[in-house]
Amino acid sequence: MNRDEILLSVQDLSASFFTEDGVIRAVQNVSFSVSKGRTFALVGESGCGKSTIALSILRLVQQPQGKIVSGEIVFEGQNLLRLREKQMRQIRGNKIAMIFAEPMTSLNPVYTVGDQIAEAIKIHQKKNTNQASRKAGAQAWEDAVELLRTVGIANPEQRAHEYPHQLSGGMQQRVMIAMAISCEPKLLIADEPTTALDVTTGAAILDLLDELQKQNGMSILLITHDLAVVAERADDVAVMYASQIVEMADSQQLFAAPFHPYTRGLLRCLPRSSISNPRSRRLQTIPGAVPQPPPFPSGCKFHPRCRIGCNDNRCQTVEPELRQVQPGRYVACWHAPA
Amino acid sequence: MRNEYLLQVDNLKTYFPIKKGLLRRTAGFVRAVDGISFAIRAGQTLGLVGESGCGKTTVARSIIRLVPATAGRVIFDQTDVLSADRAKLRQLRKQISLIFQDISGSLNPRMTVSSIIGEPLKVHKGMTGRQLNERVATLLCEVGLTPDHINRYPHQFSGGQRQRIGIARALALQPKLVIADEPTSAVDVSIQSQILNLLKDLQEKFALTYLFITHDLAVVEFFADYVAVMYMGRIVEQGPAAELYRNPLHPYTRTLLSAIPQVYIDDFRLTIDDCKPVLSEVEGSKIENQKSEIKPAGCTFGPRCPWRQNNCFKQMPQLQQICNHKGHFVACWKY
Amino acid sequence: MRKQAEEKTNWGASYGELIWRQFSKSWLNIGCLIFVVFLFLVAIFAPFLANDKPFVIRIEGKLYFPLFKNLQPVDYGILLAAIGGLSQLLLIRNERRNRLTKDGSVNGYGCATRLGISCAIIFAGTALVFVLIPRRLDATDYKIMVASGKATTAIFAPVPYGKTRTNLVARQQPPSGQHWLGTDDVGCDVLCRLIHGSRVSLSVGFVAVGISSIIGIVIGAILGYFGGKVDFIGMRVVEAVMAIPVFFLIITAVAFFPRSLLNMAIIIGITSWTGNARFIRAEFLKLRRQDFVQAAVSLGLPLRSILFRHMLPNAIAPVLVNATFGISGAIFIEAALSFLGFGVAPPTPSWGQMLSLGVSTTGRFLWWLTLFPGLAIFLTVLAYNLLGDGLRDALDPRLSKAI
Repeated sequence: MNRDEILLSVQDLSASFFTEDGVIRAVQNVSFSVSKGRTFALVGESGCGKSTIALSILRLVQQPQGKIVSGEIVFEGQNLLRLREKQMRQIRGNKIAMIFAEPMTSLNPVYTVGDQIAEAIKIHQKKNTNQASRKAGAQAWEDAVELLRTVGIANPEQRAHEYPHQLSGGMQQRVMIAMAISCEPKLLIADEPTTALDVTTGAAILDLLDELQKQNGMSILLITHDLAVVAERADDVAVMYASQIVEMADSQQLFAAPFHPYTRGLLRCLPRSSISNPRSRRLQTIPGAVPQPPPFPSGCKFHPRCRIGCNDNRCQTVEPELRQVQPGRYVACWHAPA
Repeated sequence: MRNEYLLQVDNLKTYFPIKKGLLRRTAGFVRAVDGISFAIRAGQTLGLVGESGCGKTTVARSIIRLVPATAGRVIFDQTDVLSADRAKLRQLRKQISLIFQDISGSLNPRMTVSSIIGEPLKVHKGMTGRQLNERVATLLCEVGLTPDHINRYPHQFSGGQRQRIGIARALALQPKLVIADEPTSAVDVSIQSQILNLLKDLQEKFALTYLFITHDLAVVEFFADYVAVMYMGRIVEQGPAAELYRNPLHPYTRTLLSAIPQVYIDDFRLTIDDCKPVLSEVEGSKIENQKSEIKPAGCTFGPRCPWRQNNCFKQMPQLQQICNHKGHFVACWKY
Repeated sequence: MRKQAEEKTNWGASYGELIWRQFSKSWLNIGCLIFVVFLFLVAIFAPFLANDKPFVIRIEGKLYFPLFKNLQPVDYGILLAAIGGLSQLLLIRNERRNRLTKDGSVNGYGCATRLGISCAIIFAGTALVFVLIPRRLDATDYKIMVASGKATTAIFAPVPYGKTRTNLVARQQPPSGQHWLGTDDVGCDVLCRLIHGSRVSLSVGFVAVGISSIIGIVIGAILGYFGGKVDFIGMRVVEAVMAIPVFFLIITAVAFFPRSLLNMAIIIGITSWTGNARFIRAEFLKLRRQDFVQAAVSLGLPLRSILFRHMLPNAIAPVLVNATFGISGAIFIEAALSFLGFGVAPPTPSWGQMLSLGVSTTGRFLWWLTLFPGLAIFLTVLAYNLLGDGLRDALDPRLSKAI
């Protein structure tokens, strides 16, 4: 991976959920870093723990069921897990912002969208200025309307007075993005931003994110299950399976030559008209299903579904670690080319 | 003369009234389905593609009368569905079955798998006891589950398994036509391909006919013989699958294809950079977001179309066949 | 652990089991449940607990069983109903355990079979009853026979006093070794009347709630499923019924109909179904849009199956909670009415009636006549309310896990 200046460094993060059915280890020993101005994608299917990582960075994991068990998250030189809640609040929304998957439920239905964006602005800039609050309120509203224009909503002065339910899904997502970038964060965490949207609207949202990234120079941590989106938009990729990272590389390198059998399998599953004969009518699959914790399979968690691993003794007993096989490429597999 | 089409839909319209005011007067209509026509031959698959809110689910539900249709005809196996009486409808419902999108909502959480799959068998075929259990076990094996799942409740299964149970239920009465309403939207990628392969195998084994409804153009090409693209309640383009993908004509189809994210450059993207949709007041294609209750004149894609001209706003284009492409219909003034 | 055990045995936790697991986590819930079961047992076995006739007595060398010979039809009826209900529960439990045998054939009993077995038991028992009913009332005072030496060994019930046996010698006695809770104005033992009075309270509760639940569910289901005009008109009818004051209706009914327990329970039942109807209607309106209901319709299943097999188990939760509160409410109404003198007629004992008697006695204040019935009402209503609370807590969060 490009050794640019590193903005966020996650080291050895582990998070678990304590339920009455047992301890669910949602994230186990995850390490990665996001560089300035680049897009880092965390890819994985549902239940692999990627959303938990996002929530852990902002320390939004639901206590007391969920707990960050160990690890460090270093952002601009500070370990986020050691900060006090008050300091954390200054980072949330201000330096690190997040947008969620379901725009409808993430916006408060009883306030207009203009109010919600203005509120974010007011709170984070309160400490910066000493203006009289009324003037600050008017200023915040103007800023909100400007933001709506920046994210591509037509007729923003009128839209700012509308309620979330009056907007379409794509526009709601744009409002969320407006709220997120209102304080010019250094890092934007996008948790499945296009899953709930149509194809065309989703493409437009991703274009918007690209544009904003170019304008503000912010980094994006993109969390998704859609490999194709990752291929188009991300610079660095980490593939997650069952709470661990199994492969991490530069986006181009990964898609040109994936090493881990899971990544290979996922890429084969995608319908691709250019490669296979459409008349053959059979898609490649990965047999079996994602293991639900607890308990995970012993050894490599992917081995029951892996063509090589289901016959290999080492894969069945010993868990492979994420190790560097080439400069900038990390794989957790006993059979990866060293 | 024997009609070779198993299902024929002729100018189907389903309007939902918008009630406004104190006395709940009908102020206008949401035109969920606005004149849809297509036909499917036995043993084939028609893919109905469109984004959310375009009315494709309403088409499915209108065909089997879960939602009352306002106008049009639906002919299934020489029988008129929309005007059938209760007894005839009951017979028809045995031959057409539906696979739902929402896997957590489509299975009754209070019933075991054996009841979910077995109840239609009990009610319609009168099977009981050992015979019933054997049939349920057979169905479960067909869809890739094991018979010892028979007494479990839906919440104990994963998403992919629940969808398989839904498929087993749809097959219970040995239908001729299966309407699959976005069967793979709610499952992971690796499970999606398993489910699609399963559906394909079942089609070959039981000679089923599918009406496959989805928003994912990438999936449809592998699955369908014939594709129809819907926008705002109307079909804007339809044709054989291979032809449509090789040569998409309608600007909306081209927009959709260009917006699909792809891993490798030559997957779907054609040189269609001229098809970025224009940002407008009406973002998105949801019918519920129509602001006016009056039927807009002209093509419904007009406001977003990058090729729009003056007469696009005056009159609605009809589906017409393009001369040199047999079976390929487009509704656009450009042609 | 439990989940893995379940995996092995291959049956899933049904809705009922999930609720039970959550419900039984709190000791308060278990305590209330034990108390309620205890009350049930007291009511069912009341004639065996408090009776002035002995179980067995030896007179002049011959054995007699006066208690059994003098059981009233009501007693038999309650015993049979209890046995029928218990047999149903046991059969359900067995059915769940034996559901799937190795060769895959179903081995359940099915609803009809279970009902059939229970009905058979009840009919057999009822037939026996006609054989055993006493032709004439036996007014012998067996205690005197024992005391005078005519009879030798005799085994009496734990509270050896009859519910209607007056004893003017021992009236107005405070609690003592002889009469554990004292005696009332006419010499009846308070504990004995308390035990027999529990029948009245509990039966009013269950009959009233049963009637109101059934009416409420049926009406709510129809309104909720069909919606539209049916719903509009139906809800206005429901609101009209809600406006009827229960209390005054009962008092009016008492003027026209004979004062009986059943009448009171029926009246309470047919005026309090509106809450249930609204709950069920709300749930059905929600469920109507769910895909599994649409799936059931698209499979051509009959309407009654859709309403009662598919939708009702999902909608029953608020009704269950309401039922427990309804029982406690019915008990309370009955007590209040009996206190006012509109309830069951003496000499049938009822807790409210005993309270009323305790208050109305002139002269000395006989504290034991008010404390014990009042305590009984208080504890029962409290237990049912806490049970309802526990049930509501068990139902709500668990529902989302199972869906």
